Amino acid sequence: MLKRTLASILLTSAVSVSALAEVAVIVHPGNSAAIDADAVERIFLGKKSQFPDGSEALPINIESGGAVDEFNNKVLGRSTAQVKSFWSKQIFTGKGTPPKEVASDASVIDLVKNNKNAIGYVDAANVTGDVKVVFTK
Amino acid sequence: MKANKFSLAVLLTASITASQAYAVDNVRINGFGNVVMGVTSSDDTFLGYDDNPDFSNESLFALQVSSDISDKLSATAQVLGRGSEDFDVNFEWAYLSYKLSDSLTLVAGRSRLPLFTYSSSLDVGYTYHWVTAPSVVYNVPFNNLDGVKLSKTGYAGGWDYMVDVAFGQFKGTTLGAENRGENTALISGQISNETFTFRSVYGRTTNTIDLANSEDATAQALGNGFDSLEAAGFVDLADSLRIEEDTGEFVGFSVMYDNFDYFIGAEHTEIKTTNTFANDDEAYYVTVGARFGKWTPALTYENFESSGDVKYTAQIAQIASSGLPPEAVAALSGLAIGSQQSQLSDYSIITASLRYDVTSGMAIKADISKRSDDVDDNQDATLARLAVNFVF
Repeated sequence: MLKRTLASILLTSAVSVSALAEVAVIVHPGNSAAIDADAVERIFLGKKSQFPDGSEALPINIESGGAVDEFNNKVLGRSTAQVKSFWSKQIFTGKGTPPKEVASDASVIDLVKNNKNAIGYVDAANVTGDVKVVFTK
Repeated sequence: MKANKFSLAVLLTASITASQAYAVDNVRINGFGNVVMGVTSSDDTFLGYDDNPDFSNESLFALQVSSDISDKLSATAQVLGRGSEDFDVNFEWAYLSYKLSDSLTLVAGRSRLPLFTYSSSLDVGYTYHWVTAPSVVYNVPFNNLDGVKLSKTGYAGGWDYMVDVAFGQFKGTTLGAENRGENTALISGQISNETFTFRSVYGRTTNTIDLANSEDATAQALGNGFDSLEAAGFVDLADSLRIEEDTGEFVGFSVMYDNFDYFIGAEHTEIKTTNTFANDDEAYYVTVGARFGKWTPALTYENFESSGDVKYTAQIAQIASSGLPPEAVAALSGLAIGSQQSQLSDYSIITASLRYDVTSGMAIKADISKRSDDVDDNQDATLARLAVNFVF
């Protein structure tokens, strides 16, 4: 019984991963800092508050949906539940506050194109010419 | 414990800031809770449970309000109600936090004493895989510090490091009596990379436990017994046995490996109070688990030892040679020896636990623990628990 449940969960998660598109990490077009995946991870986990060039970084999360799970999984290397658990620990030990959350890919693009310090992520299919793509994964 | 004036002032500051000077954006309200049901096998008692299902013993609810007063200054208050205290709400934390620089933070007020690895997030069941953190290490009577804490964080050579230095006082309850730690100083260091976390801590305190005024009959008898020893002229021995402005020390080490698919960790701690009847306590646990999607099964082995060695034998021998009536000699020596021997303790607990992440912010857990006592078979027990943890 347990085996069947586990198998079906594994199957479901495998299907959902392959069904989703790639995630694109985006910044303001004027942001010329050399940002790698490691820097993005440190910024989104609150371990660093600046871009590699020293300017302030303002990370933006999406509340829920495909792009968050993809981003957490591919860039942060952990499940959304694990990221939530990590931030709960930071919040309730006074060690940090999670990135601001917005509702949709469109809101992320809107914030990023208007703020030189912002960094966000969206479904790669939703990227517009108003923002600069750091990398897709 | 009643909410003190300082805590109220901090919360008030936070709420005034919220309503007047700043937008609601600057106030963060978060909460967490654990609902835990536990029941032991028949006639056993363990961790406050017996063979009648209990829902309140380890359940708790908390709200945390935190507000940025400026770029560098923030105020945080956490109110928490425990089922074991009828959900009476207390200020668990109330502190001001000041960012001296990007990597240096000063905290003043009441906050969690950064004693052992999971101390600071002990109440937030959602943040770990157990129903509750291993009791041999984490059931200490003091968790919060009134004082200051300086935290330094950094990153070097692929490792994140964190050094906490804390100073202040704590208050708790041991054996029904007030347990006070004055001039408590603590330093802890932690380094971590993607998968490994190493931590060590050393702390010192000036400890006083007033047993004579305890609410517990046995503890009170012990406290009164030490007073009788003093009255009978054995002042030095009474001093040696009493926990009165004596130095307490905490030492801890831990190592954790977590690659997000599976994890293994261990922690070893020692607590000693010199020049008292209390013996040195030594505890450790090893935990191992794996993550299969939303499921996290784990196994944990815990061990606790306290020696029961009899100290101050030369001073105790003086009772026999004092010329007191034999009954008095027997009673006083018995007290001096028995108070120390009775702490002899050696037990282990093995726990199988399962966590299921229902949704982001909520987990349900089940565990079963078996306690094996090498000193007293009557303390052997089996406990089963179900828990719901949430954060928002």
